[in-house]
Amino acid sequence: MTSTLRKNSIVASGGLLLVILPILVSWSGHDYYISLFSRILIYGLAAVSLDLLLGFSGMISLGHAAYVGIGAYVVAIFFHHASEMEPLFTWPFVLEGSENGLLVLPLAVLISALFALVIGSLCLRTRGMHFIMITLAFAQMLYYFFVSLEKYGGDDGLSLYSRSSIPGMDLGNDIHFYYLCLGSLLVFIFVARRLVYSRFGLIVRGCSNNERRIRALGINSYSYRLALFVIAGAGAGLAGGLLANQTEYVSPGLMHWTLSGELMVMVLLGGLGTLFGPVLGAAVFLLVEENLAMYTEHWMVYMGPFLVLVVIFAKRGLFGLVAGGENGNE
Amino acid sequence: MLLVIEQFLNGLQLGITLFLMSAGLTLVFGIMQVINLAHGSFYMIGAYVGATVAAASGSFLLGVAAALPAAALCGMVVEFVVLRRLYEREHLDQVLATFGLIMFFNELTRIIWGRQPLFMEVPLWLGGSVELLPGLVYPVYRLAVIGVGLAVAVSLWALFAKTRLGMQIRAGGVNRKMVGALGVNIKLLYTLVFGLGTLLAGLAGVMAGPILAVESGMGESILILTFVVIVIGGIGSIRGAVAGAVLVGLVDTLGRAFLPAVFRMLFDSSTADSVASSLASMAIYILMAAVLVVKPKGLFPAHS
Amino acid sequence: MNDKIMEVKGLNKAFGAVTATNDLSFGIDRGHVHALIGPNGAGKTTLVNQLTGDIFPDSGKIIYNSQDITRLKDYRRAHLGIARSFQITHIFENLTVGENMALSICAHSGHNFHFWRHSLRSGIVKEKLEGALGRVDLAHRRHLKASHLSHGEKRQLEVGMALTGDPELLILDEPMAGMGPGGTIELSKLIEKLKGTLTILLVEHDMDVVFSLADMVTVLVYGEAILTAPVDQVRKNRRVQQAYLGDGW
Repeated sequence: MTSTLRKNSIVASGGLLLVILPILVSWSGHDYYISLFSRILIYGLAAVSLDLLLGFSGMISLGHAAYVGIGAYVVAIFFHHASEMEPLFTWPFVLEGSENGLLVLPLAVLISALFALVIGSLCLRTRGMHFIMITLAFAQMLYYFFVSLEKYGGDDGLSLYSRSSIPGMDLGNDIHFYYLCLGSLLVFIFVARRLVYSRFGLIVRGCSNNERRIRALGINSYSYRLALFVIAGAGAGLAGGLLANQTEYVSPGLMHWTLSGELMVMVLLGGLGTLFGPVLGAAVFLLVEENLAMYTEHWMVYMGPFLVLVVIFAKRGLFGLVAGGENGNE
Repeated sequence: MLLVIEQFLNGLQLGITLFLMSAGLTLVFGIMQVINLAHGSFYMIGAYVGATVAAASGSFLLGVAAALPAAALCGMVVEFVVLRRLYEREHLDQVLATFGLIMFFNELTRIIWGRQPLFMEVPLWLGGSVELLPGLVYPVYRLAVIGVGLAVAVSLWALFAKTRLGMQIRAGGVNRKMVGALGVNIKLLYTLVFGLGTLLAGLAGVMAGPILAVESGMGESILILTFVVIVIGGIGSIRGAVAGAVLVGLVDTLGRAFLPAVFRMLFDSSTADSVASSLASMAIYILMAAVLVVKPKGLFPAHS
Repeated sequence: MNDKIMEVKGLNKAFGAVTATNDLSFGIDRGHVHALIGPNGAGKTTLVNQLTGDIFPDSGKIIYNSQDITRLKDYRRAHLGIARSFQITHIFENLTVGENMALSICAHSGHNFHFWRHSLRSGIVKEKLEGALGRVDLAHRRHLKASHLSHGEKRQLEVGMALTGDPELLILDEPMAGMGPGGTIELSKLIEKLKGTLTILLVEHDMDVVFSLADMVTVLVYGEAILTAPVDQVRKNRRVQQAYLGDGW
């Protein structure tokens, strides 16, 4: 049980570090790092939601960025209409734009979940390689859809001019925004943790290992897997809504499959089938990108082979290396 | 009507390119059970090597002659160094490792050839157009691409149906151990099949060179279309690859060409254009979804 | 009620040119241990897969408790009280022994869209887990990951999981396969213990096991049921000996 203790203390100190980070940064004067770490938290959130699929239920979705993009576009489109003072649509009822974070962020979650429901219900009819390719293809479909959507900037995307407003918070202030991201991430991890160990979680973890057995037990695995797919999509949508606020800009690039691939890389780097690992993975990936990019614009030529080596030799990821314990048994 | 025939030929030409890509990839999927995202990289390598050699030597044929072995060799090296270690692993590992390979190859081409796209000339002897029907003028080069593709399809069929090697390859997909026990060097066989697949990808790349811009990342857009083809056709099936490629090529091309006109008849022009262009760019994915609903394993599943 | 819990009538299944099940008919008496024997390639597992709904027959009927279940999906049959163990152990290697058992308990208690409470602390699991683990002597292993169990223990766990739903018909597909002598004895004891509480269809190679446990035997050769008879008659039947038991008998 000492490995549990070690893991808990690592998670606790990591969490504490994230909580006091803004103070440390303002002491050191590198204010830039606040927004970098906000980005890390947001990508961490997206990566955790992806890990629910990859690590806990064995569904290899290669189109997870689509839901990040949907979430981001929901925030951006509502913002756009609010600033143009033009309703989104007038039939069957009038829907006005909005900059209210308490409205648009939940909407980002909801609408991403809805897309995940429709796409997931089709994708989950398939298995294995088919599933991988189809999730990818649907994400690309949304990508091309937004590229051709001239009304919202097409290929060039949309700018936001400011962040959403939440009563009692000033999201324009990077420190406030940082804590919003941290809070969202922690809430999502907490929810995910309950989920993974609940009866529902037991079923989906079982599906990842042996779906045929699940069916022999009398469980229609399809609806459970679909529910998890929707929950993961919702988490990604929240990340997208935050990301739109962080950069104050959205473009179809957010849905591009390379972003889906990078989210996968973060999960793998951090530790598959763990809830804190993906956050660590996101931090490492973005920090490496940031720092390598300072020395060479061709950082990917190093990142690529490094990734291959990690896959072949270090399957448990960084979280597994530092925290011990078994893969998938947090 | 002539416009329809012309667009039909364009669709066929896209379909042929997709067939060359998906034939190689579906073999790798179906036989080795390995998912390879880096297949588009060999398309790109074929295009770059072909464009460079053709520009330096002034001969398109020399460009093609260099592109094919380059793509095949790169493929076999990648198989030998990386993929061989992943055959027994989960799909997730294969996805991640080959994603790493894409990053590597894309960046490598940027280092070698820079960020500016290269352009490849259509050779003089394939330049110009012919009048296929009265009023229908079509570029000779595109006809040549269609011809080459059809020839490859027939030779692949002959390879699989008629030769000993083809039989071994098919058997290797069904039962690895058994084929190994029969004295076939299965590792070598896999490397050769992989090389054949990347050679076809390289061929597709170098033939696309004069039609598209040769640039870093060009492999990915074609890769995703290839995935759509394979999902529609069924994994591991050459017949499925032919059917899927032609279907996707035609639907994509005809959709882009004619949907706006159709919609303009139905709605006022500004809405019509935006709806039609979104719909045209999504048409093949909608086709894929429809096929899935009816046949989740594709039109011609290899092992049913 | 009918004294036959399951009846198979004129079942056919072909894979391409290979006929795996050929006009096969037999019935299973309620409360019996009914053994299914036959040489390798006789189509035993194919038949089991049709009975459990893993695959569907080309033609013929499967009647369970007077209900036609020929086209019923696998998970629906499980709800009707048909449980199975697989030829190759199918447990959840990535979960603990306790979680494995909890999972099968949950499977039989309504829907599982319970997202919040820890699975091992939910009412139904708390109520049944101890007994279910005890029944197959695995209570002391509950926190161990299932992948760390011995082969025999995995099989015990699998049977235990199949029992959590209080099935009426338990289908055991070669439960002794790959097990040492110790494990075989353990499992035979377990089956002996279950005898009378439910109906068991036992697909088995080991003739000693079959003759010591079974009431009725169906002999399968090339996808055909050549004989269904009480165990004593089968022991004496020459045709069976020729087809299956070889010259050693």
